[in-house]
Amino acid sequence: MNLKGEPTRMKNLNKLLAMLFALALVAAACGDDSDDEASDDATEESTDSGADEGEEDAMEDEDGGDEAAASGVSIDYWLWDNNQQPFYQECADNFAAESGITVNITQFGWGDYWDGLTAGFATGDVPDVFTNHLAKYPDFVFADVLVPLNDFVEADGTPTDIYWEGLADLWVAPSGDRYGLPKDFDTIALVVNQDLLEGSGLTVDDLQALDWNPSDGGSFEEAIAALSVDANGVRGNEDGFDAEDVAVYGYVSNTVYASAYSQTGWSTFTGGNGFEYLDANPWGSEYKYDDDAFIETMLWWRSLIEKGYMPPSDILSGSGSDTIFTEGSAATMTDGSWKIGTWTSGDVNGAFVPTPIGPSGSRSSMYNGLADSITTASDNPQESWQWVQYMASPACQEIIGGGAVVFPAIPSATKVAQDAHAANGVDVSAFTVHVDEGTTFLFPITRESAEIERIMGNAIDAVMRGEGDAQTIIDANDEVNSLPLSG
Amino acid sequence: MVCVNVDVPVVGVYSTTAAVADTGEWGGSRVRVCWALSRHTDRDVRMTDVTTDSGVVAAQTGRRSSARKESNAGVDGGWKVAIWFLLPSLFGFLVFFLIPAIRAIAISFQDFNLLRNAGTWNGLDNYRFIFGDDVFWNAIRVTAYYVVINIALQTVLALGIAVMMDRLTKSVFVRGILLLPWMLPNVLVGLLWLFMLDPSIGIINEWLGYFGIRPIAFLANPDWVIPSLAIINTWKFTGYTALLLFAGMQTIPRNLYEASALDGASEFTMFRTVTLPLLRPVLALVLVISIIGSFQVYDVVQAAAGGLGGNPGDPLNSSRVIYLYIYEKGFLGGGSRFGQAAAAATVLMVGLLTITIAQLRLLRAGESDLA
Amino acid sequence: MTTTLESPTTRRLNIGRTGVWLVLIAVLIASLFPIYWSLRTSLTNNASLFDQPANVLPPEPTSFNFERVLGIGEITREEIEAAGANDAKFSIVRAVINSMIVATAITIFQVFFCAMAAYAFARLRFWGREALFTVYLSALMIPPIFALIPNFLFVRDLQLRLGFATIDLSWLPFQGDLGYVNTYIGLMLPFIFMTPFAVFFLRQFFLGISREVEEAAVLDGAGHARRFFQVILPMSVAPIATLALITYVTAWNEFLWPFTVGKDESIRVVTVALNDFKSQTPGLVRPDWSGLMTATFVAGAPIIALFAVLGRRVVDSIGFSGIK
Repeated sequence: MNLKGEPTRMKNLNKLLAMLFALALVAAACGDDSDDEASDDATEESTDSGADEGEEDAMEDEDGGDEAAASGVSIDYWLWDNNQQPFYQECADNFAAESGITVNITQFGWGDYWDGLTAGFATGDVPDVFTNHLAKYPDFVFADVLVPLNDFVEADGTPTDIYWEGLADLWVAPSGDRYGLPKDFDTIALVVNQDLLEGSGLTVDDLQALDWNPSDGGSFEEAIAALSVDANGVRGNEDGFDAEDVAVYGYVSNTVYASAYSQTGWSTFTGGNGFEYLDANPWGSEYKYDDDAFIETMLWWRSLIEKGYMPPSDILSGSGSDTIFTEGSAATMTDGSWKIGTWTSGDVNGAFVPTPIGPSGSRSSMYNGLADSITTASDNPQESWQWVQYMASPACQEIIGGGAVVFPAIPSATKVAQDAHAANGVDVSAFTVHVDEGTTFLFPITRESAEIERIMGNAIDAVMRGEGDAQTIIDANDEVNSLPLSG
Repeated sequence: MVCVNVDVPVVGVYSTTAAVADTGEWGGSRVRVCWALSRHTDRDVRMTDVTTDSGVVAAQTGRRSSARKESNAGVDGGWKVAIWFLLPSLFGFLVFFLIPAIRAIAISFQDFNLLRNAGTWNGLDNYRFIFGDDVFWNAIRVTAYYVVINIALQTVLALGIAVMMDRLTKSVFVRGILLLPWMLPNVLVGLLWLFMLDPSIGIINEWLGYFGIRPIAFLANPDWVIPSLAIINTWKFTGYTALLLFAGMQTIPRNLYEASALDGASEFTMFRTVTLPLLRPVLALVLVISIIGSFQVYDVVQAAAGGLGGNPGDPLNSSRVIYLYIYEKGFLGGGSRFGQAAAAATVLMVGLLTITIAQLRLLRAGESDLA
Repeated sequence: MTTTLESPTTRRLNIGRTGVWLVLIAVLIASLFPIYWSLRTSLTNNASLFDQPANVLPPEPTSFNFERVLGIGEITREEIEAAGANDAKFSIVRAVINSMIVATAITIFQVFFCAMAAYAFARLRFWGREALFTVYLSALMIPPIFALIPNFLFVRDLQLRLGFATIDLSWLPFQGDLGYVNTYIGLMLPFIFMTPFAVFFLRQFFLGISREVEEAAVLDGAGHARRFFQVILPMSVAPIATLALITYVTAWNEFLWPFTVGKDESIRVVTVALNDFKSQTPGLVRPDWSGLMTATFVAGAPIIALFAVLGRRVVDSIGFSGIK
């Protein structure tokens, strides 16, 4: 052993430790110094994102803090859509001015939002009020972590019939307990990339009243054939079209094939073919994916992939429909009303036409809506209820409508949203036609949506990949029905 | 036949059986290394004349250690001494590892709802469920496939790189560059490769296009997704693994190489007869850690598998690794299957522990060549 | 390859060496290219990514992404939308400071405590040592999501529930509103006492240290504490430095735990801030690749800088001169 080396090593170790400590000190010192800086940053950033509203928000936050100290009540509220956050902040500010209750809004991305809630329920670290989703709330109801609103509604005489028909009932459990008041709704339309109509001989007007059927695809299939172009420039309705090497697909589903609900994909087609997900909705006991109407629609869809009018599963999942559509690799796409802004303000020269009319003789769109729920962990259920009630009232919903992001659940506020879109030069009648004509159907509500999504999603993806057939779907349906769907 | 007497400090591998290690375990052995220039090349390194006690002799000085029994070494303090050294780690272990682990095992025998954070005992129901679940077995298969590709690629590459660094250049700059990928958080690695492997705008597919290859949806194709994920993690961890191995190589006395070189041994022979056998303890550490780590692959799968539009686990369950299965059962669906997730986790814990113990024994068995 | 007049052996060797160098350079390029690609992407507009996906240089280089990620200057929502970008806030400066505080403290404590444990496992003889080590090692196999909830409850309530008894630690200082939730201590706590890897790693290296020097110290009348501080630690400076680097980077990259206990903006670490930035996509046409890659680059820069500063010391220490 080289004993001479020892002191050096000792010195080295000391040096290393000293360096680490110094680093920690520097870091800690920086931390102290920059406290104010950091809050300045936050203010600046909200100014960046929300123009002058942001500045107001930040200032009112501080005022709100004082008020909360005075009245002693502040509640936490979570949402996932950052596009709507400024408008809900405006609601919260008005609400604070009226009631003296401060609302702290926190926003998370979709995945983190639900993981955070799940872990939060286990530990009690959840907000008082949060934005709820129809696919998720049955499992929350089953776990008894939401506060039923019935007593509040009764005590305050809160109207539940001021919303678009059916929206409020979605949030009533089989027991009769109500777990949310609706805030918005969405429907589906066909988005057309107008730049890609050139050369197809079609205009946006030609696409306004398309129809489809599972045997020859109807005028919808004709249109997407004409809009499909292969690598050599040959169109889908011309001889010599190479379905294996397509440059522009006539149509792309916004939802990937591996989905059990396909809100922005096949649901508008299966709905138009008379398919219903459940024996009863909400809270059915049996899924009916083995229905012929469903299976024939799926097999027709697969034929569209084989013909080269629709992208294969690898491409759709690999790049994602939004990238495919933005890149100009697909001419049309079914998408939801919350994306109106996306397709009218970005690179895509988008126009909206109603979804095709199905064999049943009418159009069809899934009708989905969000609501706000109160958690049992809340220390202030009464104040939380006031906030939920406020968000479900015309006062707040008209602010939300003015944001032109979503359609609020109250018809008068929906009108505000339509006007706001019209002021931007966007015609959204392709979306609202569904509520005007009553061609909506409800999102299927049962427990176990995550398992259903995986089981049925895989079965449908297998069919679309040519690795499964009708029997695959029937087997998956049996598996889905063996789950504890209602408790 | 050329023989050299050297004293080799061997970093011991852990053994579950030996209470007190015989050789190797305690640090070093005096060995006589002979290079047979005959054709009996299957055992080029013959190590004989090993001092069977646990004495250690520093290679630099070449001094002989006096034979010494461990009990005489004056290091036997018993619990009275050990407790002071172990106290902080015991506290941390008890609070942050042991209690959660026992709780997880208890939950695996319950119908447990995570949201309520409560459950009722249901015996072996959860185990019956997962053992009867095709998706669980599929997850095991998928994970094993991933581990095999990842470990094979990573270990071979890392060994090669470590040897190159050891024999060719000891440049700190080179080592620094090799470590860079490992410094990025997993999620970012997943995103970075998701972007590079994109079928529409990914650079990899652009390059393949020059060779007339149509775009491949690496992360959304059932045949490609696991190899792609294995390559991504190989990219991330190879430099790190190589450095650990390189570190191990620095403990090998230079004079072994010199002696070997004098005999005209090629680099490859030296690798096989000197490096590999003496690297075994560190190789064991690296293999144990990286195999356990690979079985627990999750972040990159969550970020990249299924492609940009698809979901983790897609397509057709081909990327649904065991950790994803546990996460989905535990966290998705309102936490009502948390007991099943705990059962799957317990099975995985037992499996990994078995693999680890077997691995350490096997590697130790290999080490007995030296003794 | 080479045209000089050399003996066949030397020449073969040179060709061999050149070949190996080429392989090493290829490996280095493979390591660096994806990182270069993230830099190239961060200097590119989202729109140009689609037009020239294969251009090795950034088409129309712009510092716009760095400006918006770092919050430099006034950038309007319109400008951001026009760039096809994400308007999420990314308070990187604050997050980097938080990460440095947390990672530094974790490194110091963890390495020290684990060195103590490793010394016990490598040098002391006590009943049940091997069994205890196996149990320590098995902690490697606990899926983090199972430790998450009990650990969170402990950090919040500071009650150690053993089943048969509960130890109350709620008298501990420096608590926030919810125990150590949303405090630096909470972010560090599960990592500062031990990780199985650190104990395993140091034990393996301590086993290789000569006992002779230790015995010399014994002759001087040194107790275990002095032997540990004056013999084992100084002789293990290289593996300890290596472990410190590994611990630091691991702590820096930890996500699940800080995401659970440190959601508050004031306490948010880099990975949490980055994840937040990443997941702000609703209504977005496609991922904000340029912004993401910029954020990646900005988030990774401090640790690379640190590495460059401590570089020679830390990387070089992996030469392990101390062990021979």
